[in-house]
Amino acid sequence: MTRLVDVPQQFDDRSFDQFAAGFAQGAASGERMLFDAHATEWASPYGLVGLLAAGQAARRDGADRPLLTVPASAQVLSYWARAGFFEAAAELFELHGKVPRGKHAAESDVLLPVTPVRAAEDVHQVVSHIQQRATAILTSELGIDPKATMGFAMALSEACQNIVEHAGTGGWVAVQSYHWRRRLARRVVVIAVADAGVGFRHTLEPTQAKRFGDRWGDGAALEAALIQGVSRFRDPGRGQGLKGIRNYLSRWEGKIAIRSGTARIAITPSWDDDAPLTEGLSAFPGSQVLLIIPEQGTAKP
Amino acid sequence: MIPRIDVHAILQASIPGLYTDLVTRPTGRVVREHIERAIVDTTVALIDFTGVGCIDYSCADEIVAKLVRERVEVLLLRGLTDGHRMAIEPVLVGHGLAVVVELADGSLEVLGPPESAAALREQLIARQLAHPIAGGALALTAA
Repeated sequence: MTRLVDVPQQFDDRSFDQFAAGFAQGAASGERMLFDAHATEWASPYGLVGLLAAGQAARRDGADRPLLTVPASAQVLSYWARAGFFEAAAELFELHGKVPRGKHAAESDVLLPVTPVRAAEDVHQVVSHIQQRATAILTSELGIDPKATMGFAMALSEACQNIVEHAGTGGWVAVQSYHWRRRLARRVVVIAVADAGVGFRHTLEPTQAKRFGDRWGDGAALEAALIQGVSRFRDPGRGQGLKGIRNYLSRWEGKIAIRSGTARIAITPSWDDDAPLTEGLSAFPGSQVLLIIPEQGTAKP
Repeated sequence: MIPRIDVHAILQASIPGLYTDLVTRPTGRVVREHIERAIVDTTVALIDFTGVGCIDYSCADEIVAKLVRERVEVLLLRGLTDGHRMAIEPVLVGHGLAVVVELADGSLEVLGPPESAAALREQLIARQLAHPIAGGALALTAA
């Protein structure tokens, strides 16, 4: 028996919870999962790496390889291929549908194709790649001071390291630039990082659960990590990564949102209306991190 | 004589792949351990970042903050870019630590939260490692 999990038509951080609900039901059934993306018309980097995390989780514990029905639209297929999705997906899913052959091409809007992150060396490669690709886009299209483009690489590095240091498994990162017509009417650069590892609650439980008492849960763990800069390590220098990302995003009116387990936390700029903390969501393994840096307006940061 | 450590050379020798970026904790740890072996008998060290691309917060903490906290009394940094400073400054503030930065014109700037920076400045002058020059800046006395 297979269990159908619908991939939303517009698959991004907003519709991810709908996807996670389907995933949670599928996981609970114990049946082989069939992820159905045939009707999907668009996926953000967050959607793409989130789908890979779902595939990673679905085949855990020796379960059969999950199935993935790829989008029917040739245009969507082409975009997913250019974003490097199918190279990673082929290792996780039994793919059904017409998958474009060959490697992804270097696209101007795909600053970093879907890239696996398993070890520190992968982070080196990501940072090296992004510096070559992103500087022109960040400065010419987003109006970010050339001196600050290094901060972008730093934020990306720290987001990826979260996987290496805490997930207990591999994950993926993708970076894209696009015009965000529906939500912001400005260009944005989006960094999405996802894994199906142990998540923030498990990572911080040994050192933080007692401090939070009855409040302890996925939401409290995210709050401890992102707002309070808490780390599982007792080394006083730990926790710098997320703090550094926050500082960088705050300077450029950016947004960070992290979903882990049954909760999502967000630090939002004035242009976004995301809830600061949402709890009681459908359970989804690991952590999914979203960073958005918008084109700079007339007001200087 | 203040020992001069070429971080770029250490990075190239330590990490496979010939990367120029100081990113990730494991990389920072390996580089710091190399530096520590080179400064066994000194309390003052000069770390040269020339040729290093990006530094992230984890590496800034693992290298700069840990050396100042645990190994040296005075850490002099050379070849810093604005990008490097973006990573190092918040880490210093977080720990209440200060370091000395050698600017392109050879003058010195003490980097860190005000109290720690003032204390380090006094120490540099008292130990005759640096002397005041015009405009309130410092210059290295012996290198």
